[in-house]
Amino acid sequence: MGRFMLKRLWHGLIVILGVTVIVFVVTRMVGDPVRVMLPLEATAEQRVAFEKRLGFDRSIPVQFAAYVGDLVRLDFGDSLWQRRPAMEIVFERLPLTLQLTAAGIILAIVLAIPLGIVAALRPGGLADRLTVTVSLLGLSVPQFWLGLLLIVVFAVQFRVLPTSGAASAKHIILPAVTLALPALARLVMLVRSSMIDELNQQYVKTASAKGMPFIRVVGMHALRNAAVPVVTLAGWELIRALAGYTVVVETVFAWPGLGLTAIQAIERQDLILLQAIVFTVAIMVVFINIAMDISYKMIDPRIRLA
Amino acid sequence: MRIQGTKKTLAAGALAAMLAVAPAYGQEITIAIGSEPTTLDPQVRDDGGERAVNDNIYETLMARTANGELVPSLAEGPPTQVGGTTWEFKLRDGVKFHNGESFNADAVVFSVERIINPEFNSEQGSFFSTITGAAKVDDLTVRIETDGPDPILPTRMYWMKMVPPGQAADPGFADAPVGTGPYKFAGWNRGNDIVLEVNEGYWGDAPQVQKVTYRFIEESGTRLAGLLAGELDVITNLLPEFVGQVPQSANISGLELPIVILSSLGGSTADVRVRQALNYAVDKDALAESLFEGFAEVAEGQLLAPSFFGFNSDVQAYPYDPDKARALLDEAGAAGTEVELVGTSGRWLKDRELVEAVGAFWSDIGLNVNVRIFEFDEYLNRLFDRDTRADAIFVVSSNELLDADRPFSAYYHKGGIGASNEDDALAGLIDQARSETDVAKRSALYQQAVQIAYDQAYFLWLLNIEDIYGMSERMAWQPRVDAKLLVKEMRVDG
Repeated sequence: MGRFMLKRLWHGLIVILGVTVIVFVVTRMVGDPVRVMLPLEATAEQRVAFEKRLGFDRSIPVQFAAYVGDLVRLDFGDSLWQRRPAMEIVFERLPLTLQLTAAGIILAIVLAIPLGIVAALRPGGLADRLTVTVSLLGLSVPQFWLGLLLIVVFAVQFRVLPTSGAASAKHIILPAVTLALPALARLVMLVRSSMIDELNQQYVKTASAKGMPFIRVVGMHALRNAAVPVVTLAGWELIRALAGYTVVVETVFAWPGLGLTAIQAIERQDLILLQAIVFTVAIMVVFINIAMDISYKMIDPRIRLA
Repeated sequence: MRIQGTKKTLAAGALAAMLAVAPAYGQEITIAIGSEPTTLDPQVRDDGGERAVNDNIYETLMARTANGELVPSLAEGPPTQVGGTTWEFKLRDGVKFHNGESFNADAVVFSVERIINPEFNSEQGSFFSTITGAAKVDDLTVRIETDGPDPILPTRMYWMKMVPPGQAADPGFADAPVGTGPYKFAGWNRGNDIVLEVNEGYWGDAPQVQKVTYRFIEESGTRLAGLLAGELDVITNLLPEFVGQVPQSANISGLELPIVILSSLGGSTADVRVRQALNYAVDKDALAESLFEGFAEVAEGQLLAPSFFGFNSDVQAYPYDPDKARALLDEAGAAGTEVELVGTSGRWLKDRELVEAVGAFWSDIGLNVNVRIFEFDEYLNRLFDRDTRADAIFVVSSNELLDADRPFSAYYHKGGIGASNEDDALAGLIDQARSETDVAKRSALYQQAVQIAYDQAYFLWLLNIEDIYGMSERMAWQPRVDAKLLVKEMRVDG
């Protein structure tokens, strides 16, 4: 286990380093932040002065050396757009994204397991067909549109929930549901198909035949065996939410998290802030992967970690 | 365990719901702006979100009426010229900053020296590039020096917010602004809102609205929903297609003028007849109606709106006359030639749609139009490329000072960053106007410049896009031509 952890951490480090190098290269290649930040009508002298202040007048290798030096100290420097330390902004916004992602993914898992099992018990039955249809709908609806639809129905028509922002506990409900829906749809389908496979196995028939209550057969044996792919997908959904879906959902709901901040940093070509955000998300993705590997071992002791 | 946790969350949600329906006081309003300010130091950034808030906290020596007329604010009267490069301002007596500091000549000198200091590196620097310093004469008299005669110095002082010398040294100044304005800072919950309260000791008329909350909502559909749900009282940048849905809307001629820069330096557009044909070919009324639902006025053949200084009321838009356009093309022997039209997407309201519509009008008169929409950074490469000018480049000019100097220097003057002409006469007029302190003479110079550019058709002038605001039923407010959101001018009924 210890060796396994070291190895995974080592791999994770390489991934993170790779990501940061790519971010550096791509951001330096695609644009000139100075031009985007100053008004269009600013004069050439003003541009040069501004460039100098930001350190973008140095050569690319010098900038890269400075960048790696900063990275080692976990100091990305000041955000170009906000003019304060980029990591300060990340730590300010990250908790909100974690709250939203946790709420969304937990909601998806908590609903997906019972719905998937119920559907699997009678494949082709009414509950099954309903679940499959709704899941397909959930997968096909663009999240952006879904978010606005929920706002129109629950905030504008019925006025039971706020339209946007993160001022109180109930502000999280609509964005969390929006974030959960596609994940829920995929998870339900997977729980359903895994359970159908397991319920057809010989050991399920044996357990039932020897008089074990059906609910125990499903809950203890079949579900546990079906759990490994479900955990894999849940972890994958978590990563997708953190590194992608939150960008859309946070924008629609004006939820001041890291995803919205990432979009704003891109619009303003804030390379420094963007680097800090990508770096943070990359670290989280690496740790989620390690946590998933460990959970496999806990679910199924036969799995060897190597 | 999990069930208990859920119960707690539900209880918290119910509590929050009860708090949310507590009765709101009539004189508290909520305004949605597109982006959160990054700082509340009024001298650092060139940022619309920051301005929206700080325009109510801070004041300037000069201000504008809702119609755009320049009037004294913290200055007691219009400034007077003392020698060629000095302007003298008399200051209003008895004005205090929110922290009790007196507003006086020292505060003005400090504010001027602070913002023009190269070390300070203000993004607003381009507004004040002519200013070399300020000197106190007595407690309520101050002189501002410029590097040459500067006729628009009074206008520049409309942009420079006055900061308190004592408080501005405080490291927390950027997070807790202190001005002389009708509202004072009450709190900033980063990511969520900024709250201002009325300044009881304000020197001017007491405003009606007692408390204002700013929320930051980037997505226009979400802003609209917030207004419809009754959470917001004023939203900015309402899309024209949403106007029918909101309780109230107000619109006014805005600061943004989309144009197409036509190159006289080479290619098919080097011939003035072709450039004129490109103007005659476009039905601007149709663009205003179809793309902006009528919330845009046709630009009168110049990069100025009627309320801007330098506007020439004798010049009118090229009429829509495709036959004349074809005739001019034939005369120039340019029928069927290729024209490259460069634009970008998602930077300005309906930018892509405008470029594509212009391209279609040009195709109609028999040109081979090559519409090229670039991502913004690549687009800027084309706009700023001084060596090879594209035949036609779409750009939107935003004129915060309501004066011809900046847009003309950038696009009309042959040395400007976005100019595609080498007209010495035109450049000479703009240079002359820059140091002409006689208002009437300066205005006449710009009017001549407008006429030359119009005759030479150096641009295709399109529209003057209106700003549209959505408002709740209870609001009473008339938007301003300078697009400032001054809460002291807003009223709440009921």
